[in-house]
Amino acid sequence: MKFVKSTMAAALLATSALTLPTITQAQELTMAVAAQSAGQLDPHVSTRTEDKVVFAMVFNGLVRFAPGSMSSDAIEPDLAESWETSEDGLVWTFTLRQGVQFHGDYGEMTAEDVVYSLNRAADPDRSSVASDYRAFESVEAVDDYTVRITLSEGIPSLLGVVANYHGGNIVSARAAEELGENFATNPVGTGPFAFGELAEGQFVRLTAHEGYFRGAPQLDAITIRYISETSARDLAFQTGELHMIEGERENRWVENTTSGGEIAVDVFEPGELRTLHVNTTAEPFDDIRVRQALAHAINREELIAFAGDVVARGNEAPVPDGYIGHESDIDFLPYDQDRARELLAEAGYPDGVTVPIAITERASLFGPMQVIQAQLSQVGINLEFEVMEHSAWHAAIRDDVSPLVLYGAARFPVADTYLTQFYHSDSIVNTPTAVTNFSHCSLADEQIVAARSEPNPERQQELWSEAQQLLVTEVCSIPLFELLQVWARAPEVDLGYELEGSLSLGPVITEQTTLSE
Amino acid sequence: MTTVDTTPPASETRSTAASLLRLARKNKLSTFGLVMFVLILLAAVFAPLIAPHDPLAQNIVDRLQDRSAEYPLGTDKFGRDTFSRILYGLRVSLLIGLTSTALAMVLGCALGIIAGYRGGWIDTVIMRCMDMLLAFPTLITGLFIVAVLGANFINIVLAITVTILPKFARVARAPTIALKEREFVEAARALGYSDTRIMSIHIAPNIMGEVVVLASLWAAYAIRIEAYLSFIGLGVAPPTPTLGTMIRDGFNNILDAPYVSIYPGFAVLLVVLSLNLVGDGLRDAIDPKLRD
Repeated sequence: MKFVKSTMAAALLATSALTLPTITQAQELTMAVAAQSAGQLDPHVSTRTEDKVVFAMVFNGLVRFAPGSMSSDAIEPDLAESWETSEDGLVWTFTLRQGVQFHGDYGEMTAEDVVYSLNRAADPDRSSVASDYRAFESVEAVDDYTVRITLSEGIPSLLGVVANYHGGNIVSARAAEELGENFATNPVGTGPFAFGELAEGQFVRLTAHEGYFRGAPQLDAITIRYISETSARDLAFQTGELHMIEGERENRWVENTTSGGEIAVDVFEPGELRTLHVNTTAEPFDDIRVRQALAHAINREELIAFAGDVVARGNEAPVPDGYIGHESDIDFLPYDQDRARELLAEAGYPDGVTVPIAITERASLFGPMQVIQAQLSQVGINLEFEVMEHSAWHAAIRDDVSPLVLYGAARFPVADTYLTQFYHSDSIVNTPTAVTNFSHCSLADEQIVAARSEPNPERQQELWSEAQQLLVTEVCSIPLFELLQVWARAPEVDLGYELEGSLSLGPVITEQTTLSE
Repeated sequence: MTTVDTTPPASETRSTAASLLRLARKNKLSTFGLVMFVLILLAAVFAPLIAPHDPLAQNIVDRLQDRSAEYPLGTDKFGRDTFSRILYGLRVSLLIGLTSTALAMVLGCALGIIAGYRGGWIDTVIMRCMDMLLAFPTLITGLFIVAVLGANFINIVLAITVTILPKFARVARAPTIALKEREFVEAARALGYSDTRIMSIHIAPNIMGEVVVLASLWAAYAIRIEAYLSFIGLGVAPPTPTLGTMIRDGFNNILDAPYVSIYPGFAVLLVVLSLNLVGDGLRDAIDPKLRD
């Protein structure tokens, strides 16, 4: 078999040499993300946007979202060929694909690697997504190609947590053990592209994984550059130095970039929900009337117009649109400045109130926050900004220093992840189990927990809807609008699939992607 | 019986005022600079009367517009009027620039005069400290201070003051050493005047000429540092406009709406240019080699 393959390759080489007498250049695709550097290239550790797209090219999960899609209906086999589940939904048995090779000389992927990876992802010391796996009772290798997962209770989507996303990514057990901490700078997976080189603050280079189980990639290499300044990315893209760039999520940018005619701009799911989280335990927002005033003072239409309707859409529910469990029919407090002033006066602030808050300098949050600042000042809520570098801000808001936190996030598209991470009492910031509950709200705990293991989908939806309505009524947060993903692509790039959504928040380059001359 | 005149020689006290007059007569370019600076100062002071719009009022529908009758210099990405923001931004930038220069001038001269007059170990300690500050590139010192203390009006003023203070100390020290040997100082000392009095009444006025020249040049530099700091995000917090933050705000749209950054940049240029012209003229007027 191997022999046949190599002769075919030789024959192909010979014919291409005949038809293309010029030296064929190595096909290398270059793309740039809006970041200063790579985070940590360990899929179980980093949840940073700029790393997700790399993970999607280097790793596989047991199942995957079909390229270009992030709908749960589009989940298809990846490292697992097939799976079956017990009647109560608590025991899942996966049959693995045979002959899948890890990058380099790390050999064949077997059940042992899957067991190792899922246990690693569930271990809070080695993983930042361990809470997704809290219902995992055991993961066992039945034989080399069979893995059995036993759950202690039902979870909203088991396939979701074993898909090619964060903790579901399968790492090489041998590589992870041998490399230890260094795994984050030398990741080893089974994906179409292998990790090649990391230049801190400049780029990460991936090379084709010839032994990829879906076939060798058409491209030879991918360079992902880190360029945080939009205009710098634009210039490099216009001069042809880059094939793909992460765009600015603004109508204006999309229009300017596509105006030449040749360039394609992909606007795709998921919408990252921008939510203003309100600390319900800190003055002056511990008074519900002030929180209601805040909600009445915000003009969503203007915020959407700020980004533009091609890239932004409104959302009043705490769970993003398109997630399983999202409730679109929410009873919310509408934009009403007079009512806001009344409520403020009732709460004892007839002359307005000044609130110091922390905000990142990153434009995608800083811009909308300045619009909000101007809107709130019209009813007498004056925000005093402390502008911070992005990672310092991330640390500060987790230290509970800011009574208002404007946060944008996309998570695994099931209501439970969003509700648990942002609104369950276990997730309250500045506690040992903290995630990102900035509001200190715990009033929907009961519904959130009950929905997790509710076997009846209709009842589950009811619980999720109830939770969302409670959070909006109590103004734990003010969901504002969603920003879609925006990337520009040079005409010579053919992704090989229709890009409608990407959980990796960027266009994933697959073995099918080609570059024409 | 001989009387000792302890008032400093007339020619030296009058030199500054006389220089200004001479400057206006002889140096047209500097006069132009002075007029320009006064106009800018007036525009900043009377900003609330001149500005056609509220500098903080956002109008999302009209964002990133070019010049028009309604918006003389266009609008920024929040639909705020650039012209009004420049006028208000000038206030903040000038206030920061001039306050920090004045502070640096007073403190720097005091340190320089003390070092020069006292000499010995005091001189060594003060001047080595100044050398240490000078050893850092000016922007780095400012950046360090603002980054550590946090970006607000007072800290920015402090940062710029510390950055340019050593230059004043150096300029004040050298002539003090020469002046303290002069008869009028010795006479004052013989009369039993305190060192503080001698330094402040007899020495300080005599070095003012050079210091003022320096101040006008360093004020321009201080305004530029403020713009630098704001540009890299260490400026006064929004929505308060300063020239540097305005340039920064427009930078993301530099390719498709360059005017958002260019006009405030041009304002910085005008302020710095006018101050430099004034400074150059003053120096020419005071420099004995170029007199008459």
